[in-house]
Amino acid sequence: MSRKTTRREFVKGMAAAAAAAAVPVRLARAQARPVRIGFAISETGAYSVGAGITQIPNYILWRDQVNARGGLLVAGEGRRPVEFVRYDDRSEIETGIRLYERLATVDRVDLILPPWGTAMNFAVAPVVSEHEYPMIAPTLSSMQLQDFRLPYVYAILAQPDAQMRALAGLLEYVREQNGYNRVAVLHVADLFGVEHYNELVPRLQSAGFEIVLDRSYPLGVSDLSDVLRGARSSGADIVIGLSYPPDTNLIVNQLSSIGFNPPVLYTAVGTAFPAFRDNFGANSEGVMGVGAWNPKVPYPGAREYFEAHVSHLDREPDRWASASAYASLQILEQAVAEVGLDRRRIKEYIDSNEFQTVIGPVRFVDGVNVVTPGMVGQWQNGEFEVIWPREHATAEPLVPKPAWR
Amino acid sequence: MSLLLEVAMSGLLLGGVYALIAVGLNLQYGLMRILNVAHGEFLMIGGYVTYLLVSLRGWNPLLTLLVSGPLLFAVGLAVHGLLFRHLVRLRRTREELEANSLLISFGLMFILQNVALILWQADMRGYRYLDQPLQVFGAVFPANRVVAFAIALGFTILLFAFLHGTLAGTSLRGLMQDVVGARLVGLPVRRMHAACFGLGAALAGVSGSLLSMLYPLTPDIGVSYTVTALIVIILGGLGSVAGSFAGGLLLGVVEALGVHFTDPAFRMVLKYGVLALVLVLRPYGLFNTVARRPEQMQKA
Repeated sequence: MSRKTTRREFVKGMAAAAAAAAVPVRLARAQARPVRIGFAISETGAYSVGAGITQIPNYILWRDQVNARGGLLVAGEGRRPVEFVRYDDRSEIETGIRLYERLATVDRVDLILPPWGTAMNFAVAPVVSEHEYPMIAPTLSSMQLQDFRLPYVYAILAQPDAQMRALAGLLEYVREQNGYNRVAVLHVADLFGVEHYNELVPRLQSAGFEIVLDRSYPLGVSDLSDVLRGARSSGADIVIGLSYPPDTNLIVNQLSSIGFNPPVLYTAVGTAFPAFRDNFGANSEGVMGVGAWNPKVPYPGAREYFEAHVSHLDREPDRWASASAYASLQILEQAVAEVGLDRRRIKEYIDSNEFQTVIGPVRFVDGVNVVTPGMVGQWQNGEFEVIWPREHATAEPLVPKPAWR
Repeated sequence: MSLLLEVAMSGLLLGGVYALIAVGLNLQYGLMRILNVAHGEFLMIGGYVTYLLVSLRGWNPLLTLLVSGPLLFAVGLAVHGLLFRHLVRLRRTREELEANSLLISFGLMFILQNVALILWQADMRGYRYLDQPLQVFGAVFPANRVVAFAIALGFTILLFAFLHGTLAGTSLRGLMQDVVGARLVGLPVRRMHAACFGLGAALAGVSGSLLSMLYPLTPDIGVSYTVTALIVIILGGLGSVAGSFAGGLLLGVVEALGVHFTDPAFRMVLKYGVLALVLVLRPYGLFNTVARRPEQMQKA
């Protein structure tokens, strides 16, 4: 560095510096500082199907709607644009944990949004709680998490006990009507499947159902045809898959390809996806699934949300957790508008208020939404109708399901 | 038809495809002592070739075999020329060749998997083909499995006929038994090695195309099929097409029945269990007679 700077270089450098300094000033005048909202979600891997349908589109829809309104209303500051800091956890739990650590400590985002899936949310929940980020998770369904009492984590979805209570209730009703009593239960060996299994089977047993087949299978399984053959030969009237999207498709596909049409077929995550209906066409008719939500529900904003999802993202929302994902963003938006970006105050606000959302009223007690009941949905004529519990139903159950076509 | 028989038959159908995968690996290992653990990755590539042609071009999956086979043959030739030819020339003992080829193909496996990850991401990809039920001997199977089995069987029979009914095939078998002898009678050993490696890769590609009709694809499906193929080879004996075929069918049936009686989670455990049992009870393969024990075979 012994060479002296010439006058010409000095002038050039000053001019460049002045130009560089001028740009941010002008930008800053045009727009308030963005609110940075971070999340890591599965864009690849086994969880990506669900994440890409249930959560990511709703994040994008909400961000674009908020920014179109001039930004997120922050109490005491006015409207600020929303900017995402977004990562792919590749459906790997350890990657997800690392990325949420990073969002909190390196990126230091203002707010965070949850990842997709029970196991992933379960894994990052301690991280976000430690860093005091409120996280309202639309795809977290775990009784175990409630035992941990993580103060900043909220489960907006109906939890395994509520969902399986609804399913058991429906099955008892169907038994009264049609006499179906023999049940085959398959579940994915992932936190979601295990917890739902533990909630369902004791209920069925105490209700006097005969469990004729009971199998678990690993996440990412590629073949269940031999298990389904076993279900057929055991004489099951009711086949229940406590499944994730890829295996939901596998079960329905392989049932039809071995020509077994159980009168009652229930599969879990993924059944409520419009892609399920589009993929199976007439064969989706009568398939029941965990859920449910559809644009016919009587809550303010529900129909508008459905239409905005279709027009903005060019596809329909799924009929279960999509609306919950959007509802969680409505809650966050309302909280920030009332108390600003102080995360402890956001938490206090969420804890102490009831919210009106597209899934109806939501109120959290110990981090769990206690208002929204567990429900069962069923594809009927291209819509995922809510069929149970009766007081929330948008249609009657269709039993037995029509034959495969 | 009883359930057990039906499950066993469904295992047989899958076992036919296992056999074809194993035959490809067996050609490479039995003939050249090149232990190519990237065999499953060639299979994965074949699957993606079919997937792309079906989903982007609307081809019939069966037609794509005409692309995946020759393409993987070319890839096999290239890989052999780049990585293994040199190795075969340099090796001093059979053990050294086995160890070095294992290391190289292990690296190759990671490279191919990661290239596939970059190209196609970790998503499951698939298409639907002939997944309606088909009645076979009173039992019901997905039609695509029956088709895949028939084609795998056809390829295996063709290969068997080639090895046992043509001059080129007889020379290959001769080469397998005695390299020095093969040289002495004027066989072009090096070119035959390359062709043989290519053929093994092509069979992997074809198997991948067939499997893509049955199961969704991810970039990491290869490893489990490599393991399956190794188990089948050990069951059926080195260098034996008929042995691989029988071994493949057997493994398919054991797996299907095992999963039926336990849980789908035990699929790989069952496979390894079969392997361990055979290694303990019949270390030279189920069908090997004393005359074909390795110590009595000449050094490759």
